[in-house]
Amino acid sequence: MASSCYITFPSTFFAIRAESVLKGQSYFFKMVPVPRSISSSCGTALRCECEDITTLKDRLLQSDLELEGFYRLEEKGLKKPVVTELYLDDQETR
Amino acid sequence: MVHNNLNLYFDNAATSWPKPEAVYKAPEKQMRQAYGNPGRSGHTHTLESDRLLYQAREAIGRLYNFSDPGRLVFALNATDALNMAIKGFLNPDDHVLYTAMDHNSVLRPLGRLRRDGLISTTMIPCSGQGYPDLDFFEKAFRDNTSLLVINHASNVTGTIAPLKEMIESAHRRGVKVLVDAAQTAGVIPIDVLNENIDLLAFTGHKGLFGPTGTGGLYVAPWIDLKPLREGGTGSQSEIDIHPESMPERLEAGTLNSVGLAGLLEGVNFILETGVEEIHRKESELRDYLYEQLQNTGGLTLYGPASSSQSVAVLSFTLDGADCGEIGYILESSYGILCRTGLHCAPLAHQAIGTFPEGTVRLSPGYFSSQDDLDYLVNAVREIVQLASE
Ligand SMILES: Cc1ncc(COP(=O)(O)O)c(C=O)c1O
Repeated sequence: MASSCYITFPSTFFAIRAESVLKGQSYFFKMVPVPRSISSSCGTALRCECEDITTLKDRLLQSDLELEGFYRLEEKGLKKPVVTELYLDDQETR
Repeated sequence: MVHNNLNLYFDNAATSWPKPEAVYKAPEKQMRQAYGNPGRSGHTHTLESDRLLYQAREAIGRLYNFSDPGRLVFALNATDALNMAIKGFLNPDDHVLYTAMDHNSVLRPLGRLRRDGLISTTMIPCSGQGYPDLDFFEKAFRDNTSLLVINHASNVTGTIAPLKEMIESAHRRGVKVLVDAAQTAGVIPIDVLNENIDLLAFTGHKGLFGPTGTGGLYVAPWIDLKPLREGGTGSQSEIDIHPESMPERLEAGTLNSVGLAGLLEGVNFILETGVEEIHRKESELRDYLYEQLQNTGGLTLYGPASSSQSVAVLSFTLDGADCGEIGYILESSYGILCRTGLHCAPLAHQAIGTFPEGTVRLSPGYFSSQDDLDYLVNAVREIVQLASE
């Protein structure tokens, strides 16, 4: 089954700031409502390819953004997805 | 008011009119096409509203030269921003310096804190032209002085304060500076970075061409304000303590995204036109008005003779005549709109000697034309003539 990764934010301001920082760069990402299976401080998350998540995290931290959490979701069709919280290297946010 | 193709609105210091076309359209578009509660739901309408607010913060950052849009807190108007700054910054036993040109939106928050015995204050007197007495100012600092409030330009005389000099003086003593830019935002260049401004309060509906109910406060990265209100932000909803991170720290409740859509277009218009260009044009108008009216018998003009020291505001009185009456004749006989009386700045009127009667205040704007001014000058001269008969 397909999996995708998510970055969550402490506030909407940082979610939109993330979008603005990454816009125009070659990453594939989308701002989406936070999936129900992830808990987050703010209603908007960034969904991306799992192979990109570390690069995106680094790029965002360079721009003085505050990030909250990192997750992988494995879709199970209509069943609940399997959520794995990721602890990325050098993570300054937890 | 438009009259035979003339724009007879000379009350831009109260609120600017007309607005650039896009300012009228953006709020409607925001309501019709992307109306979501910013920060609250995560669906596409909400996201569009969030993006709009972010763009507005960025645009204002470009206008005042700061790079972190999170340092811009939206407010209802300058009054709201000044209250946030004054009450959020001061601590008990602080001492505050302010000037005689300050507006009630500064005088009253300070007055309340002083009356409640929380702070002490010293007013820096101003000359008849509206300039702060800098010798007095230099000696007014005390050990517990924490804040200087500067009226960037007076809404009574137009006088521009010597910002750089006063900020340097304050900073030399470790005193922070709050600038009231209600009359200067969008009209004269402001650079918070190079001018070392700690707090900048502005309103959206004057020089920035936005709708009423919009404004903001720039908070320098080294300034931490206590929030005046707390509540919903759409983030960290499980905690009963308001979030600490800016700008949410100082923004609670649903923002005025409809009005801010208009403000963004107003700021974009200014960025495209250039503040220097707006200032150049308004200075020409102010200088022309001053020149044309200065030698009119019985008329007293207030404020600097040259627009290099003033924004496009010109107050006058006429010997033996009541300002309210002059305002009434200007409107009823000529269709001219302006403001008369005390312009919410009682100490400024005392400084220039027009308390308690006040003045007639003419404030042309970027969209005023030479023909509009000629019509105005002629109307004032006819009223002067009438009064002398
Ligand atoms: C110098 C000055 N400060 C503050 C204000 C308050 O602005 P607002 O009424 O938009 O809060 C005004 C305008 O009325 C003003 O001219």
